Amino acid sequence: MIVFKTFLKVLRKNLPIVILYTTILLVFGISNMSTSENNMNFVASKPNIYIVNNDKSDGITKNLIDYISNNTNVINIENNEEKINDALFYRDVNYVIYIPKNYNNDFMAGKNPEIKIKSLNDYGANLTEMLLERYIQVAGIYRKSIIDENELILKINDTLKNDVKVNITSKLDTNSLDKASYYYSFASYSILACLILVICLILSSFNEEKIRKRTIISSTNYKKHNRILLLANFCYAFILWSLYVIVSFILVGKIMFSSYGLLYMLNSFIFTICATTIALLVGSLITNKGAINGIVNVIALGSSFLCGAFVPMELLPDSILKIAHILPTYYFIKTNEILKTLEIVEFNSLKPIFLNMLIIICFSIIFIILSNIVSKKKRKIA
Amino acid sequence: MFWHNFKYSLKTLFKNKPLIFWTFAFPLIMATLFNMAFSNIENQEKMDIIDIAIINNSEWNDNEIYKNSFDVLSSDDNEERIFNIDYVNAQKASELLEAGSIAGYIELIDEEPVLTFNTNGLDQTIIKLVTEEIRQTESVIKNLSEEEIQKEITSGNYNIDYESIHNKVVELTKEDNVRLKDISNSNLSYTMIEFYTLIAMTCLYGGILSMTAINESLPNMSNKGKRISISPTKKRTIIFSSLFASFIVQLVGLSLLFIYTIFALKINYGNNIGFIILLSIMGSLAGLSLGTFIGSIFKANENTKTGILIATTMFGCFLSGMMGITMKYIVDKNIPIINKLNPASMITDGFYSLYYYGDNLDRYWFNIISLLIFSAILIIISYIFLRRQKYDSI
Repeated sequence: MIVFKTFLKVLRKNLPIVILYTTILLVFGISNMSTSENNMNFVASKPNIYIVNNDKSDGITKNLIDYISNNTNVINIENNEEKINDALFYRDVNYVIYIPKNYNNDFMAGKNPEIKIKSLNDYGANLTEMLLERYIQVAGIYRKSIIDENELILKINDTLKNDVKVNITSKLDTNSLDKASYYYSFASYSILACLILVICLILSSFNEEKIRKRTIISSTNYKKHNRILLLANFCYAFILWSLYVIVSFILVGKIMFSSYGLLYMLNSFIFTICATTIALLVGSLITNKGAINGIVNVIALGSSFLCGAFVPMELLPDSILKIAHILPTYYFIKTNEILKTLEIVEFNSLKPIFLNMLIIICFSIIFIILSNIVSKKKRKIA
Repeated sequence: MFWHNFKYSLKTLFKNKPLIFWTFAFPLIMATLFNMAFSNIENQEKMDIIDIAIINNSEWNDNEIYKNSFDVLSSDDNEERIFNIDYVNAQKASELLEAGSIAGYIELIDEEPVLTFNTNGLDQTIIKLVTEEIRQTESVIKNLSEEEIQKEITSGNYNIDYESIHNKVVELTKEDNVRLKDISNSNLSYTMIEFYTLIAMTCLYGGILSMTAINESLPNMSNKGKRISISPTKKRTIIFSSLFASFIVQLVGLSLLFIYTIFALKINYGNNIGFIILLSIMGSLAGLSLGTFIGSIFKANENTKTGILIATTMFGCFLSGMMGITMKYIVDKNIPIINKLNPASMITDGFYSLYYYGDNLDRYWFNIISLLIFSAILIIISYIFLRRQKYDSI
């Protein structure tokens, strides 16, 4: 019990670190899950645009603006060139349309006036451009035979309202699943950082030469000592994992109560075990307290960047993903990605997921063996 | 005395391994990771060719407009090709959709196209828009042809050449009426900002260096500080030579970062490299003064001071968009005053204005001057705090 108590004592000292990384997770989790403009969220299919109208708002000009705004989200920003440019750069808007002076009259006179645009050249911008081009094209064709403006507008609207019937087959709540996958993938960073940092700090306190000497000559069997220490570490890991799961219930919501939620939890639990074994290995390798901070950040940030915890996997170059195969985080995040689009939960469709989990367990076993070898070699003190 | 203290400050700083790791090696590691992770993002933002399926029934094959349009849109010769089409039967199509190998499929029912998708998404929106466009063109052709025929009939000509009317109308729809001019700035790359925030972070992390240098000469921090303080040397000389030493160390770190990113990672900083270097030197000065400020006004042990400095720096970097560029924009848009006071934002905003606004340097100079004022204020406050300090007991 004394070992356990000491463990808790050191843990309490390091509580700010746990709080820091958990806060980071929460801040990013919340801010990224609530903004629609982020990269991973392809569900929002209406592009964000801004329209600068230098013409009077009636006739064709008004109709054009109405048509575009019905099919896009018009973002509310200050009409100021610098603000517009900033909005474009920071992806607040995908596309800006500048309607020139006298557009309505020039158009009716057949001058085919030029419209200036600013474009991000991404999906959203291309969509908007398609809408804009279509309107001008249809209006241009009709204008050649219809002279009356009101009749022309009626005809254009009549043509443009011909939409297409769409069936959606999936009953998946993709939005929630996206959120859950994003949350858990990002959590891999916090889990790794919190576990490695705290466990290394605690182990290094136990490994300080004076304290080790005292432990060795004490009546407690060293095997028992190590066992309790291991148990305490896993306890800490379990508590941390439960904390993150509870947070996920709050942030993601209903989907966590389904079989999907169970799979996310199972996956992250296995990853937490693996992270603990990594922490034990690193802890047995490092003796210098000052170096721990640096090494932890390199491991946690490195594997998170390479395996797609920050930048989604589909956006990473293939060569990086190939390298990522040697890291357990890759298999953890891969499972989250599979879950996102999993249609049916049954043994066959779950096979790749279980395979990933098995690989993570294998990693854990390797790390345990390695840390045993290392600590055995270091046991003797001259 | 200035150079004597300078020399030894330089030596102690360079030999402090954790310090050198955080100010020299860590930015390099981060740059490498950024480069690996972000190298592909820009390409992905552009449109890909979308895989779709079309139910290959008699109705499809009889409908010329849809058949021809989709043939053109999926033709290998077409540079603006959008689709890659599989012609299959209904069962195969739904199998493909479930397997996720197509974004959706199209079926013609009673001359109306019906789209089936698995989920909503951008690819799906594009398919829908394109199909709608074809449908609307079809309706334009129908409307115009009817009108033409009506005209012929009212003019008393009952011998109508349907073929030529159809061709005339189709020709009309092929005319390009659209004139758009793209006036957006070409520098829209997102990843550059990540590197800019990294430089900003490196600049501000330099604060640890100046703080360590200040701590070394403070009597309540170390025995060395006590000895330095009772020496018959002006405080000014000691402080400024230590700060100068830490500034030099910081500039070495920065130049390493620049050399590494330019030559190893092949980052293109553009033509304004001179302005960029000036801005990073100013940024380093701001970092240095922040470190001096926190080192001198807080009476706490070294760990607490480091904690305060790191927390301030990280929070500043966070607001300036280090962990997600949208953050800077949100702050700029809603509470601009915060980023006007935040040194990290001054640095990133300076880089941003150079990169994005190019020749218009107003915003850049505004940021440079802000950084100078920021540094001057903090150094003056620290100076007032540090001079003539007396201790009854330590």
